[in-house]
Amino acid sequence: MVPVSDVQPEAVGVRTHPLTSVVQGALWAAAASFGLISSIFTGDGWGDMSAVLSLVISLGGGLVVGMLVGYLSWRFTRYVIDGTELRINSGIVTKASRRIPYERIQSVDIAEPLVARVFGLAELRIEMAGGKDSRTSLRFLALADARDLRRVLLARAHGETHEGEAVEEQRTIITVVPPERVMIGTVLSLDFLFAAIGSIVLIVGAIWFGEFVVALGGIIPLGTWLAQIIAKRILQQWDFTLSRGQGGLRIERGLLSRTSQTIPFSRVQGIAIKEPFVWRRFGWLRLEVDIAGYAAHGDDEGVDSSSILLPISDRILADAVIAELIPGSAVDDVPQTAAPKRSRMFAPIGWRYRWVGANERTFVAREGWIERTTSIVPHHKTQSVELRQGPLQRRRRLATIEVHTPQGPVDADGRNLDERDARAIVLAQLDRARAARA
Amino acid sequence: MDELFTPPSGTWQRVSPKLATIRRILILIPVSVIALAGVLLLLMLSDLRWIGALLIALALVGAVWGWAWAGRNQRSWGYTENDDDLLVTSGVMFKRLVAIPYGRMQFVDVEAGPLARAYGVATVTLHTASAETAADIPGLPAAEATRLRNRLTELGEAHGAGV
Repeated sequence: MVPVSDVQPEAVGVRTHPLTSVVQGALWAAAASFGLISSIFTGDGWGDMSAVLSLVISLGGGLVVGMLVGYLSWRFTRYVIDGTELRINSGIVTKASRRIPYERIQSVDIAEPLVARVFGLAELRIEMAGGKDSRTSLRFLALADARDLRRVLLARAHGETHEGEAVEEQRTIITVVPPERVMIGTVLSLDFLFAAIGSIVLIVGAIWFGEFVVALGGIIPLGTWLAQIIAKRILQQWDFTLSRGQGGLRIERGLLSRTSQTIPFSRVQGIAIKEPFVWRRFGWLRLEVDIAGYAAHGDDEGVDSSSILLPISDRILADAVIAELIPGSAVDDVPQTAAPKRSRMFAPIGWRYRWVGANERTFVAREGWIERTTSIVPHHKTQSVELRQGPLQRRRRLATIEVHTPQGPVDADGRNLDERDARAIVLAQLDRARAARA
Repeated sequence: MDELFTPPSGTWQRVSPKLATIRRILILIPVSVIALAGVLLLLMLSDLRWIGALLIALALVGAVWGWAWAGRNQRSWGYTENDDDLLVTSGVMFKRLVAIPYGRMQFVDVEAGPLARAYGVATVTLHTASAETAADIPGLPAAEATRLRNRLTELGEAHGAGV
């Protein structure tokens, strides 16, 4: 892909921060001992060696190997900022040169993993549109340098080329989500309730019957799940701050590891409003945003925690944020096309809650009765439109439509609609998308 | 009967019947392996004769079904170039119609395996920023595939709307 002549090592450019190797070593040591601890818990340790000794060995070994590799890769990594692109040259044996044209940058995030944060360092993540290899990381930079570099990159991504404008741009805080609200929200979500009640029942049962070892097989996975939920929903969303700048919104969050994300207004591909079962009673909801490139790094649920736009909020604030990102969207006022009653064989309960609709600016799709999801896609971000029909649907004169967006939380599908309605919506959506692009 | 999947304007361009031939050859390979295994069982292991017969019957059914499927599926493929979008349709049982605005295309792929090359056909695949788009048109004659790729690239540049 890259011409050979480009891979010649360049002696120009800037190195990342020298402490990178130390941080890298600590991260490796942490990963090594974490792996060991979990294998000790599951019962297969390192033969006869005592647990403490093997822990020390893996910790020390991880640290030494990590620091060595970290030092070498730091030695050979340089980045160059020029008029048209950011270039990162790296590699000890195999040289690699990655070029990032400014106009293809989707977003620039700053992440501070706990270890790096101790040293005042940060990782810069640059997202481009496209497959799984679209994220580029620069690790690690001094926090102030990372902020400077992000400002420069974002300014260039928006086509500003004038130099020397080093003033920190004005930001207005839209909202700070207090940690206790996030905690209450987590406690009231169904999967947390299930994991917590399950763990308690197992522990009580184990003590009651005295069969602790047998129950351990159930407690460990449930406990891990619980810990994951807490880490993802509470620790990572701690002190969630949403603010507004010139080019877009900024999110700052995290208790142990801090993350600072930017969402340029022009890069928003769609927004999903999620209303979990219990939250709906209180009028709470969660906002997730679709940015090209984010979801490729998602966890097993397919949704990266960085796609969360508001972890918990009420309707009024959510509407204000949506209006900010997609002007002219109106969720409940759009003319709706609901799934007909004869589609109930495909979704006995869910069919009642399904509809799609559109106004001049956005396409809206709603589904789900346990967790209600409303997807909003601005017309000018419509990637493609699909109409589908299987043999069973054909008998019932139903069809499914999909408005395609880049991979992410937004899934604007209208399943099992009346076939004539579906075709009309597909054709109308093409017209609307065309008008919006013009 | 299927006005649901007709293009809003113009008619579907159909793909080459050679697609059916290629697919029939591809189906014939596993089918003949199964049939061969059945014949061997029939001849060599007299106690397992019924398994051999079953395998041969299975292979025959597979061959007949595959033959018919390849033909029907090839006839179901169609595409049409409108003013602003490319429309692709496919499927007999599970029908689909995808419309991709030219301005949304990120890149266009043309690929042809050894068998496809021997028959002079190729597959054109369109990629947008969405992984769901999955718009591929198999069985295009090589010249048409090249023309379509050039035309789509040209239109993509003319309509280009970014991500």
